[in-house]
Amino acid sequence: MNGYFGSYGGQFVPETLIKTLRELEDAFFRFKKDKIAKKEFEDYLKNYAGRETPLYYAKNLSDYVGFKVYLKREDLLHTGAHKLNNTLGQILLAKFMGKNRIVAETGAGQHGVATATASALLGMECVVYMGKKDMERQEPNVKRMKLLGANVIKVEKGSMTLKSAINEALRDWVKNVKTTHYLLGSAVGPHPFPLIVKYFQSVIGKEARKQILNQEGRLPDSVVACVGGGSNAIGIFSGFVKDNVELIGVEAGGESLELGKHSATLTKGRPGILHGALSYLLQDDYGQVARVHSVSAGLDYPGVGPEHSYLKDSERAKYDVCFDGEAIEGFKVLSRLEGIIPALESSHAVGYVLKNRDRFKDKLVIVNLSGRGDKDLGIIDSLEGNNV
Amino acid sequence: MCKLGIYLVCDYPNREKFLEAVRVCEDFKIDFLEIGFPFSDPVADGDAIEQAAFDVLQRENTNDFVDRLKEVRAIFSKKLYVMTYANVVFGYGSDRFAKDIECADGIIIADLPYVESKRFKKPFEKYGVNLIHFVTPESTKEDMDKIKNSSKDFVYFVSMRGTTGGRLVLDDELKSKLEYMKFGFNKDVILGFGIKDKIDIKNACEYSDGVVIGSEAVRNLNNNSFYNYIESLF
Repeated sequence: MNGYFGSYGGQFVPETLIKTLRELEDAFFRFKKDKIAKKEFEDYLKNYAGRETPLYYAKNLSDYVGFKVYLKREDLLHTGAHKLNNTLGQILLAKFMGKNRIVAETGAGQHGVATATASALLGMECVVYMGKKDMERQEPNVKRMKLLGANVIKVEKGSMTLKSAINEALRDWVKNVKTTHYLLGSAVGPHPFPLIVKYFQSVIGKEARKQILNQEGRLPDSVVACVGGGSNAIGIFSGFVKDNVELIGVEAGGESLELGKHSATLTKGRPGILHGALSYLLQDDYGQVARVHSVSAGLDYPGVGPEHSYLKDSERAKYDVCFDGEAIEGFKVLSRLEGIIPALESSHAVGYVLKNRDRFKDKLVIVNLSGRGDKDLGIIDSLEGNNV
Repeated sequence: MCKLGIYLVCDYPNREKFLEAVRVCEDFKIDFLEIGFPFSDPVADGDAIEQAAFDVLQRENTNDFVDRLKEVRAIFSKKLYVMTYANVVFGYGSDRFAKDIECADGIIIADLPYVESKRFKKPFEKYGVNLIHFVTPESTKEDMDKIKNSSKDFVYFVSMRGTTGGRLVLDDELKSKLEYMKFGFNKDVILGFGIKDKIDIKNACEYSDGVVIGSEAVRNLNNNSFYNYIESLF
């Protein structure tokens, strides 16, 4: 294992973290082979988190768009998003390594809530870094984290969003590396994090593949997922990557595709190094990381997981954008047609399918509904002209 | 003879004061200078240097830093290094970056550990710029052996687990790692992170070949007390 997906990935971190990353890699490979650890993880997923999640045939939405759409209901997982798959897994791994303290970053707060939840369950001290801007726009999740016993630290530097939160979590980790596990929530960061996150999220793809075969007797034509860092997408893609199934990652087009107004890293970026990995990156001509924007805090990030960069360059997956307004349209349409309020992140995947309905004609499509949207009501409310 | 290096953020707090600080360093015969090329996400740095970097990036880019480096080279007669982050090099183009900083003796990349150093080493060595490696309290003997074998210039020994601007604690673990690093190594082992004053320098120099001061120098420069600060170190 060299820690690369093609030419993407690596370990671009301060030297202080190298030994810990080596230990983490070693522990992760032992953890995967450990039958007791594996059973414990599966038991928590089933009896605590509520797996498996349904693959729901969205009949009303299908009638509306004119082709069959299934929703992989990660919004029904405990805490309301796919993030818990990874946090339960990584906290068990941290315990396996003898660590007693967890630090995490969060954007939309879903990973923070999932981290605080698994920490409460498994008796870990939990510190979550969150940008000031995100604390304001995702306030319900801040309250949930606090209630769950996490120490939420407001980051008032830089962009005050997910990127700044990762910077602070990394700084904390460098300082407390002996006692602390950094629980990265997305498929980003230095090796072995992208592998670890994919491993724990791959349950989404495994289930979805089995479920669609049961329900339709065949594989889907397309699998669509939103991509910020890319954890829910890599999780569902992993179930279909060896099949002849189109994989589509939907990035946040924000307000427009002018640099600074979107978070469409794979669509508009070029390779660069941020947060420990070489991957596509939104940056200026001098390698300074660009300001980005998305209406959804979970997608408001200038980087992307290295495996997605590899999937893009190798043309195994396609990446495209959904703009803020189109995502909000997806949010509303799904709420009204199916009685499911999706997270603004997942609404990008829904919005993409709506706007490309001609392209999907006669196709069988799975959309990964990565989270629920209760946390986003404040944002929707505050957007001018939106009368929910 | 214990060496003293000073780290300055390029063009902070502004071009004039920065160049004046370089002249002060030349006058006091500081042994080497590290010029920080700011990065938008400096995860190895504490508040003082991060704020300085953000400040400079509001108005300047790498072209300005390269121009200033040449001016520094004209003023400062001893060893000169550039310190930055991997994407400032990679995003600009490694070869172009190496060529543009040819007047420096070496390059220090805060988020480039030994395991990833190969791809960067080549372009810099082509232009006679040595890549500086880090050793930390987390480094194993095997890590240190590899770094001893491949270092063509000093080794930057990070004194602590943490970011720049912390407090130096010379505990037994650190002392024994410094001792191991120095053993059979004919280049300098320079201790950085947490060095603030004359007492720190004296203590650190019992176990290393020299020190580098960053955050405290940057803070004093911003407070218009740079000259007195440098004077107080002797």
